[in-house]
Amino acid sequence: MIDTLAQAVVNGLLIGGIYALVSIGVTLIFGVVKIVNFAQGEFVMIGMYISFFLAARFGIDPLLSLFVSMPALFVVGVLVQHFLIRRVLALGDMPQIFLTFALSLLLVNVALLLFTADYRTVETPYSEVAIHLGAIYVPLAKLIAFGVAMALSGTLWVFLHSTDLGKAMRAAAQNRDVAMLMGINPDRVFAVAVGVALALAGAAGSLLMPFYPAYPMVGQVFVLMAFVAVVLGTLGNVTGALIASLMMGIAESLGIQFVGSDSGLIVVFLMLLLTLALRPSGLFGGWLR
Amino acid sequence: MENTQRRLPPRQQRRRDFLVKTAGGVVAAGALSALPARLRAAESINIGGLYPVTGSFAQIGQGCVNAAKLAVQMVNDAGGIKSLGGAKLNLIISDLQSDTTVTRTETDRLISGYKPAAIHGCFASALTLIASEVAERAKVPLLTGSSSDQLNKGRHYTFTPFSRASQFALAQLQMSKLVSDKPKVAVVFENTAFGTSTSNGLREQAPGEGVEIVLFEPYSAGLTDAGPLINKVKASGANMLFPVSYLNDLILIIRAIKQGGLQIAINGGSGGFVIPDFYKNVGNAAEGLLGVAHWNHDINGDAQKVNAAYQKQYGEFLFEYAGGLVAQTFMIADALEQAASTDPQKVRDAIAALDVSQGYAAMCPGGRVKFGPDGKNIYAHPVGVQWQHGDLATVFPKDDARVPLLKS
Repeated sequence: MIDTLAQAVVNGLLIGGIYALVSIGVTLIFGVVKIVNFAQGEFVMIGMYISFFLAARFGIDPLLSLFVSMPALFVVGVLVQHFLIRRVLALGDMPQIFLTFALSLLLVNVALLLFTADYRTVETPYSEVAIHLGAIYVPLAKLIAFGVAMALSGTLWVFLHSTDLGKAMRAAAQNRDVAMLMGINPDRVFAVAVGVALALAGAAGSLLMPFYPAYPMVGQVFVLMAFVAVVLGTLGNVTGALIASLMMGIAESLGIQFVGSDSGLIVVFLMLLLTLALRPSGLFGGWLR
Repeated sequence: MENTQRRLPPRQQRRRDFLVKTAGGVVAAGALSALPARLRAAESINIGGLYPVTGSFAQIGQGCVNAAKLAVQMVNDAGGIKSLGGAKLNLIISDLQSDTTVTRTETDRLISGYKPAAIHGCFASALTLIASEVAERAKVPLLTGSSSDQLNKGRHYTFTPFSRASQFALAQLQMSKLVSDKPKVAVVFENTAFGTSTSNGLREQAPGEGVEIVLFEPYSAGLTDAGPLINKVKASGANMLFPVSYLNDLILIIRAIKQGGLQIAINGGSGGFVIPDFYKNVGNAAEGLLGVAHWNHDINGDAQKVNAAYQKQYGEFLFEYAGGLVAQTFMIADALEQAASTDPQKVRDAIAALDVSQGYAAMCPGGRVKFGPDGKNIYAHPVGVQWQHGDLATVFPKDDARVPLLKS
C-alpha cells in the first residue's frame, strides 16, 4: 500500500516536470506580453519533431538535440513576436486570441501535411530502463526529463532575478508603461520573453521524445494541463506555474490510483474549481516571480 | 488594473470554447467546398466511403481510404458491374475528421449530394454509430467492420460482415489459456464506445471460460503517462494484461510495462494492436504480443493476393480494417450485380439476401458471408494473431492458424 502510494507520487512528480515546462512558457508570455498563447502545445510538438528527425536521420540522442531545439525555437519565438504578436498588441483581446489560436490550427495542419498523422517514436538505450528502489521504480528517461526541466526552471528564475534583462522583463510585467518610461525597450523584452517561452516548449519536446510518441496533435495533450497549471499557479507567476504543475501531476496520478483511471483529471479539475472558488487569483498570487 | 487582469482567464476560456466551435464550423465548411462535385460519367455508380482522414484517427483512416481505392480499382478493372452494362464504381470519400458532429453532417452531405448506392465506413465505432443512424434514416445501406454490438440493434440498413466485439472477447479469453493454465487477467480499457463494449464482453464471458479477472479498469483515452495505470496492474497481481486501446495509448502502456520490469503476457485484442505502425513504434518489444482481429492478410489465397498488391503500392501489409473493407467493396459489387439497380433500397435488399462463399467478397474468417436479420454475418468469427518477426501471423483458432504460437 505504501509502495503503491509512493510509486503514484513518483509517477505524478515526473510527469509534472513536463507539465511545468509547458506551463512556465504560457505563464511567462502572459505575464510579460499579456497574451494567451494557445499555440504553446504546438511548439512542444515542433520540439518533438526536431528531436525525432535528428535521431532518425543522424542518430543524435534526443537529450543532445536540446541544444538544437531550444535555440531553434527561441529564434522562432522572436520571429513570432516580431512579425505576428507585435502587430496585434494594440488591438485588444479578440485579435490576440484569434492570432494564437489560428497559429495553433495552422501548425497542427502543416505538421499533418508534412509529417502525416503517424506516431513517431525514438528508441534510446534508456527508453525502457528504470531505476529500482525497493518496490519502487523510477523510469530513467522520465527522471532525466524531470531533472533537466527543474534545472531549466531554476535557470529561468535566476535569469529573471539577477540579470538586467530578466529584471526588465519583470518590470514590464508589473507595469508596462512605467517600465517604458524607465527606458526599457518593450519590443526587445517581449521578443526575449516569447523566445524563452518557446525555447522551454522546445525543451519539453526534446525531453518527451525518449518516452512519448510524436504526432501532429500531441501538443493538445499537454497544453490543457498547462493552462490549468497556469491558472492554478496564478497567471504570470513562474514559480506558481512550476509548483502547480507538480501538484497537478501528483493529483492526477493519485486520482488514477485511488479514484479510477478515468478520473485522474476529475481530481485535477476539482482542485482547479476549489482554487477558483476560494482563491480566485490562483494559489500563489502576485506578479511575475 | 490588477483585478481586470485576474478576471481575464475564465473569460478567455469561454472564448476558447467559442473559438473551438467556430473553427470546427469553418473547417467543416471548408471541407464542403474542397470536394468538387465530380463529373459523373453516365454509367458510373457512386459508392460512399466515410473515413476520418484528419484528426486523431487520421492515420488509420488514410490507410482505409487507400484500401478502398484499391478495391474499387480491382472491381472496375475486372469489368465493373456487368448487370448494369459494365458500369464502373465511383468512390466518393468523405473526411469525418475523427469528430462525431462532423460525421453527422458529412454523412448527410454525402447521401444528399451524391446519392450513393451504398456506403462503407467509418473505422471507429463511435463514428460508425452516428453514420449508421443517418444512413438508416436516409434508407441507404451501410457496411462496416466496426465491432460495436450496438450496430446490430434496431437497424435495417446496417450490415456487419465481420465478428462482433462480444465474439472478440470470447476468442481473446480462449487464447489466454494457450499461454497460461490459470490466467489472472487485468483489463484496462479506454472509456469510449469501442473500449466499453469490448471490455464488457470480456467481463461477461470470463467466468464461462474459466478466466479470473483481477482488475477491470477504464481510463480516459489520450494518456499523458501510463505509469499510474501500470502501477495499478502491478498491484493487482495479474499474469495477463488485456489493454483495449488505440495506438498512442498502447505505446505508452507497453513502454511503462517494460520500464516497470513487469513480467506479464499481453493480449491487446483488436484496435491499435493489429496495424503495421504498432510494430514500427513498439519495435522488438512487440514480438510475441497477441491480438485478435476480424480479418488478417494471411487468412486465404485471395487475402494474400490483395495484400501483395497493397504492400507493393504502400510498402506495408494490408491491416485488418483496410483488408476487411476491400471485401466489403466486393460485397457491395456483388449486391449491385444481383440488384441490377443503383437504387439504395434494392441494393439493401440484395445485400440482405447475399450468400457468397468464394471470391474476394468471401475473403473473411469463416469464408462465407450471409447476413442474419440483425445485419450480422452468421458465419463470421475472429482470428487470433501474434507478432512474429515484424509480421502479424494468424495463430488461432486451429482451423485458421497459419503458423504455430510463439511461446516466450
